Amino acid sequence: MSVTEHELTLPLSHEAAQKLNLGDFVYLTGEIFATAGLPTHDRLLKCLEGAEPLPFDMSGSALFHLGSLNEEAEDGSLSIVYMNPTTSTRFNRHMPRLIPGLGLRATGGKGGLDAACARAMAENGCVYLSFLGGGAPIITAGIRKVTGIGWPEMISHYRIARIEVERLGPLTVGIDARGNSIYDRTSKESLEKRASILDAMRAERDSFEA
Amino acid sequence: MPITDDMIIEATGELYSRSLRKVPEDAKAALAAAMQTETSETARQTLKFQLKSAEMAENKDSFVCSDSGVPVYFVKVGSKAELDCDFKASIRRGYETLVETIDPPLLKHVTNPITLERGYHGKDMPIVTYDFESGVDYVEMVCSPKALGSGRWAALELFTFPTLEEIETYILDVAIKAGAQHCPPVLMGVGIGGTFDHCAGLAKKQTLRPIGEKNPDPVLAAMEARLTKAINGLGFGPMGTGGDTTVLGVHVDFSSGHGFTPVAVCFNCWINRRARVRIWGDGRMEWSE
Repeated sequence: MSVTEHELTLPLSHEAAQKLNLGDFVYLTGEIFATAGLPTHDRLLKCLEGAEPLPFDMSGSALFHLGSLNEEAEDGSLSIVYMNPTTSTRFNRHMPRLIPGLGLRATGGKGGLDAACARAMAENGCVYLSFLGGGAPIITAGIRKVTGIGWPEMISHYRIARIEVERLGPLTVGIDARGNSIYDRTSKESLEKRASILDAMRAERDSFEA
Repeated sequence: MPITDDMIIEATGELYSRSLRKVPEDAKAALAAAMQTETSETARQTLKFQLKSAEMAENKDSFVCSDSGVPVYFVKVGSKAELDCDFKASIRRGYETLVETIDPPLLKHVTNPITLERGYHGKDMPIVTYDFESGVDYVEMVCSPKALGSGRWAALELFTFPTLEEIETYILDVAIKAGAQHCPPVLMGVGIGGTFDHCAGLAKKQTLRPIGEKNPDPVLAAMEARLTKAINGLGFGPMGTGGDTTVLGVHVDFSSGHGFTPVAVCFNCWINRRARVRIWGDGRMEWSE
């Protein structure tokens, strides 16, 4: 048995997003945005309310929950030394508004998003891609060029990095563009299995002889 | 010859740096073993990429994870070790030196919980637990930095005269609540008994025990095997995208206490950051992990 792999170019089309299924592996080439900041997500929501302009045109883009050590050299050139996913569920309260507000076609990080986010993804044709936590060497190798750093006054991993990536991955489809979620599914299944697992543990305890 | 400030300063920085770059051999062996038993192809591939990430970090001498966490150390001073140092000051100095010199630089993760300001330094950093070891003439230091990713799912509850069933049910429920979140497959540390403060330390110290090392207490060994099988049956899998490998192991220890029984559970993500050194008075430093 093999896993289905997709080589995708960004920005992701509606059709390409719809073709992705849970558990598929994806490699991305094109432009992404990356930030790991909770204050950044608060600020993005305020941008949507008109408080200030967005640092970049992010419509139809891919915004990922990735923390990075980014640097601007004296000659103005930008670089990322290392990059890695952060826990996406920290942004559960932001994503249902950011997905439609920015028209996101892809989001991701690690650990998934909740059911309200999955609904927003289904309504907007957006996918959630799981990055390898502790995968800094692999993920950083997918960076071709850093093309912008938004909100540089924030600490490094809170800034919004605009990055050109080449075969960034492997990323796992965790929530598809129809709103099906591995996270919801495994969470529900674990609760369904709980009683039988507890029974099996009881039987093992009862038969234990030291 | 006594153990000096310079030795502690060097060990403090070097331990942290090593823990960020090298996945311990026992963790890598456990990941490789899990690849043989996994029935989900997505999970098997994810385990393969975890091992590849560990290998790339070692070869490139770079960090496995961008989140270096906060500095956490465990120190054991041998009863026959000769010290000529201000231990606490040297650990602080060692950490400060590391922050100034480490390549690549760390991100600012040390957080003031009142203001949410983040930097490299803060009150009570590094977090250090001191202990003694009878009959040995060395100092042992372990660095096990901790970040939000797996750190936030730790839990502690107080029971009164609980049955083993109540304890194990609680541990399973903590694993269900953490679900896909803590960069599985994780190592779970469990502490049972003692007091509130002591119990959390018991759980944490169990995450420093090598994976695959059998618990010498047969009752605890059976409990560890039972909980490992049970939690892997939940189906969260590597990185929480489904599979049979949610834990690499469950390590349990207990202490006697009163009728109120705390049960503490904590998690190490798959990279199991842990570096260890023994320091002798003659200047020898024996590194392991």
